[in-house]
Amino acid sequence: MEMRFQFSPRSSRDERTNRYQAVNRLISAIRASLFIVGAFMISFANAADSEFKAGKAVYKKANCMGCHKWHGKGGGGYGGVAASLRESPLDDEGLALVIGCGRPGTGMPYHDRKAYRGESRECYASTREELGDALPPRARYLLRASEIEDVVAYVSHQIQGKGEPDYSDCIAFWGTTAKRCQMMAK
Amino acid sequence: MRNLDSTKAVIAAIVAAATFVTSAAETSDQRLLNAHAEPHNWIHHHRTYDAQRFANLTQINRSTIKQLKVAWTYALGGTMGGGIWPIAGLEATPLVEDGFMYAIDGWGVVTKIDVREGRAKFVWRMDPATDKDWAGEIACCGVDNKGVALWGNAVLSHTLDGRLIATNKIDGEIVWEAQLADPAVGETITVAPLIVKDMAISGVSGGEFGIRGWLEATDLNTGKRRWRRHTIPAPGEPGSETWQDDHDAYKTGGGATWITGSYDSRLDLIFWGVGNPSPDWDREYRPGDNLYSNSAIALDPNSGEIKFHFQYTPNDPFDYDGVNELVLADTEVNGSPVSLMLHADRNGFLYAIDRSNASFVYASSFVKRLNWTAGIHPTTGRPIDYDPESEVQNYAGVASSRSKPKSGFLCPGVMGGKNWAPMSYHPNRSMLYIPVIESCNEITTTISPDDEKPIPREWFTSGGMKQTERITGSLTAVDVKTGKVAYKVESEWPLLGGVLATAGDLVFAGLPNGDLVAFDAENLKELWRFPTGSGINAPVMSYAVEDTQYVAIAVGFGGTLPKWWIDATPGLENTNPSSMIFAFAIH
Repeated sequence: MEMRFQFSPRSSRDERTNRYQAVNRLISAIRASLFIVGAFMISFANAADSEFKAGKAVYKKANCMGCHKWHGKGGGGYGGVAASLRESPLDDEGLALVIGCGRPGTGMPYHDRKAYRGESRECYASTREELGDALPPRARYLLRASEIEDVVAYVSHQIQGKGEPDYSDCIAFWGTTAKRCQMMAK
Repeated sequence: MRNLDSTKAVIAAIVAAATFVTSAAETSDQRLLNAHAEPHNWIHHHRTYDAQRFANLTQINRSTIKQLKVAWTYALGGTMGGGIWPIAGLEATPLVEDGFMYAIDGWGVVTKIDVREGRAKFVWRMDPATDKDWAGEIACCGVDNKGVALWGNAVLSHTLDGRLIATNKIDGEIVWEAQLADPAVGETITVAPLIVKDMAISGVSGGEFGIRGWLEATDLNTGKRRWRRHTIPAPGEPGSETWQDDHDAYKTGGGATWITGSYDSRLDLIFWGVGNPSPDWDREYRPGDNLYSNSAIALDPNSGEIKFHFQYTPNDPFDYDGVNELVLADTEVNGSPVSLMLHADRNGFLYAIDRSNASFVYASSFVKRLNWTAGIHPTTGRPIDYDPESEVQNYAGVASSRSKPKSGFLCPGVMGGKNWAPMSYHPNRSMLYIPVIESCNEITTTISPDDEKPIPREWFTSGGMKQTERITGSLTAVDVKTGKVAYKVESEWPLLGGVLATAGDLVFAGLPNGDLVAFDAENLKELWRFPTGSGINAPVMSYAVEDTQYVAIAVGFGGTLPKWWIDATPGLENTNPSSMIFAFAIH
């Protein structure tokens, strides 16, 4: 037997009004819940965003996202085969070393403007000459020490140790209106 | 009577003026077919359907070149970044029609400039409001646009987020727009449209993101699709036998079409280059020759049917993207007349192909170092070490593979002996001037598991490259009658902007350090140089207004080099982006 929801023709005006008001209350409650959940998600994203805003800006500016991708999983591309930052075992000190000094023998560039200058051995206890062909490339965008600290904080708190990137990661990076995040929400 | 005559004269003048304005504004099919007959204009992306990019103007010549000075400049804007790109660049060839220039920036903003009085005067700007992060995240090689097209009273342009837009040439209002490419699957558009009859032919970018390439014809009267032809065949279609996997690799098989093709009205054929197969480097994911990747294809403009093809590097292990332009030239080879299409491939060989049937005429190397193959077979046009019995090609053994993840030292490198920047053909000399990248590098292949589908919008290269030495360049002149390199002038930098040959017997080329240089077409002796102050990665063009010839170029350092290759071009790391058009004239 087919069941259909419909107003009974025998319902009184008051009954219909009460039912209408009840449905409206229910819709309002759902809307309020959705708003709270949404606002929570956005505020959570915003909180994370504001806390690591400077580091995320460096991550974008210094072309980290070009090779390690926005989500930090790395992989192939014209920037080379980049390591996954989500799976990186490095502590903050190790991250700062690799960002500042690059990774010898690979395409990971050095970003510290003082790296490999003159006889300096601050990077891998080696000079430019000693590293020879293994000398990492120089990044196009060199970073100040404070910028390296910022991006290390961003990577270690927002990327490292996380699983597969999801919708909340996406809106934290690209913003709530990004089409690419809408794809992930589907 | 005098007053009446005078009134009639005024009306006649107004009518004449209106007629002139109308006729000047209309870019008819006939004018497009006979663009050679308008030496003062540049109304196709490649100036003429044959893509020769030859300016038949002589005022600027070997005798007057020393008096060539800046006539005007114009700041186009549009350098803001988006997606993975901190900046946008300029790679477009501006068009000029009867004293009006149409220029486009990397985000698809079209600007009409009045250049009739020897200076730049803004007319209108059409901003398509491109979704920058959406498109910029999946642009492999920069936020760039190669140029616009003209038809009737419309300016046709693409946007990086995949649209074709028709803009009213007079007032800059959008007439219609059509969504062609889908960034959700990694597709973008950077190519300039080719107008054929009453259609715009559009290509797609995304060969590094696992797209399945196509060409699409849009009816310019309605903005609706006429046809779409995939460059990677589906099972059962001609060419599908060259995809011998068991996991539908064709669906993400690449074959992008991001450089504008050519058109031969006599044969009624469109010629277009098809790019690399995907994934770029794990060719064992896609066993077989992978048609029509790395091929020139000839299409019936009415149906989009592929009539014939010629493939350069089957089962490409190197990302030798075969998309570069196809120059149509009628000349003699070994004393016999032949209708050629000429193609300088990333693999370092210049190919001369009979464009009436795709039969091979010759191939000759135009780079200093080449080691991926022992050569090209003189009758088949295939690499000599191509093995017809093998589904996976190893050529001369340099390539990386699943069992040997690190390649040898590969020459030419992944940027190719020549990248997208167009060459120019001097018909009076039968000489081709090629902007060459002299480089070698190494590739690492990572395995794309056969049972895993690529993730939409994620890179699908299956590996990466490493640059271990400096990248340089050259301007190389090849005698098309023999295929031999006639002259080569070396450059500290790779040549990333297109070349212009002129009837004044000059050859112009831009350099990534910002210098615009003029050479003697006879011997490539440098005759003139001007530092624009930023990097050049756009083609040079020329036009005339009344009795003055101009040479113009868009200067806006962007594209792949600043992002992916900057450590291999020491000295360019401090070259700043800009967004200027420079025009030069004799003073």
